[in-house]
Amino acid sequence: MQYELRTQVVDQRRSTFSYLEPRLGGKPATRYEEGSVGIQPKENFHYRPLWAPDHELYGADWSALQLADPDAFRDPRQYYYAPYVAKRAEMHDAFGKTIDYLDERGLLARLPDTWRRLLTEVVLPLRHYESGAQLLTVLGSRFANGTTVAQCCSYAAFDRVGNAQLLSRVGISLAEGSDALLATAKQAWLEESSLQGLRRMIEELLLEPDWGVGLFSLDLLDRAVYALLYRHLDTVALLDGAGPYSLVVQHLNSWFDDQRRWVDALVAAWLSDAEHGPANRALLTDIVAARLPQVQEAVEALARGIDERIDDEGVAAAAEILTGLRAGLTGQQLLEGKPA
Amino acid sequence: MTTSDARVRMVGVDLQENDDSRAIVDAIEEDNPDVVISRMPGLVRVQRPHRLVVNQASVERHIGRPWETHEFQLSIISYFGHIDEWDDDEIVVAWDH
Repeated sequence: MQYELRTQVVDQRRSTFSYLEPRLGGKPATRYEEGSVGIQPKENFHYRPLWAPDHELYGADWSALQLADPDAFRDPRQYYYAPYVAKRAEMHDAFGKTIDYLDERGLLARLPDTWRRLLTEVVLPLRHYESGAQLLTVLGSRFANGTTVAQCCSYAAFDRVGNAQLLSRVGISLAEGSDALLATAKQAWLEESSLQGLRRMIEELLLEPDWGVGLFSLDLLDRAVYALLYRHLDTVALLDGAGPYSLVVQHLNSWFDDQRRWVDALVAAWLSDAEHGPANRALLTDIVAARLPQVQEAVEALARGIDERIDDEGVAAAAEILTGLRAGLTGQQLLEGKPA
Repeated sequence: MTTSDARVRMVGVDLQENDDSRAIVDAIEEDNPDVVISRMPGLVRVQRPHRLVVNQASVERHIGRPWETHEFQLSIISYFGHIDEWDDDEIVVAWDH
């Protein structure tokens, strides 16, 4: 007797949730898509918020920066809860190892005095900068339209708390286990002249009710601050005998690379939107025009603060960073090109 | 006796059905016109006449993280054709005769 072996394929009734099927056109959904796309309620809201009776609970009108189809936006990193948490756990483990290494060998205690001053008076106070940035970003996780966007904001807000913690741990290690330096850092955030531009801009942005405007303005500032403090000074530290500084800030550098990916994608989506693109471009151009001088002032003050403490050409570096930032914005046609 | 030259010779790969492979399949679909994708329980067969290319850059865009071509080994169950190139930037499966 002979047997014939054949495979029989039973077609699946559906490849994913029914509300995703038309969007994906029969392709199987990834976990990221199933956990992110089309989750936010869009209709049948019963009550408007008492504190904002002109809005629905969720909707497009919470920001002037709009997307015709917010669910078409994708986080380029495809973070949903599990990969996000795994990735950040990895980052904080790596940072913990760095701090342990520095502690074991007493390397932070042996920092040159100039760098110790820079760290305690200029860099540590930025935990309050991160905290302000957290408040600004978390606004988007509540008010952004569409889960794919709101999700990125939530994670970015968690990240800011994490960054503030990184800085705090450096402060605690520097003070050999006490929080004394964190207390002086708070005072420095309020009083140190080189930080007042940053504080002013963060505090002004906290008054901005539109999460999109706040996020984009903060990003302009971030791009200059991170480039100066964590990328430029990273190199300077290595040549100036302050290796521990570089070991610490490498983690903030790699975080910022990660952050850029989704912010850049969101800005690109705003600009290229078929329906709202021109309006978004006009608004973003206005924001750049209004905020860029303020960013410049804040970062130049920060650079002077750096130059006062260590032997560096921070002011020149800041000028170069701002030129780069301008060139990038001109390339996106968010800033009118000026002859250099 | 010679086989007809007009016969279309397919090349293709069988990949495991999982989140990583889905990104690879999307990338292949984008870079190779007329690719035929059959989804079976647990595996996806991707085939195309003569030549199939997997671009590292496209996969990275779909997968959302850095991806090296040797990671393709983790997804692949089987293939038919001749692996013509396996470089850092692309994998080419093609018949060379």
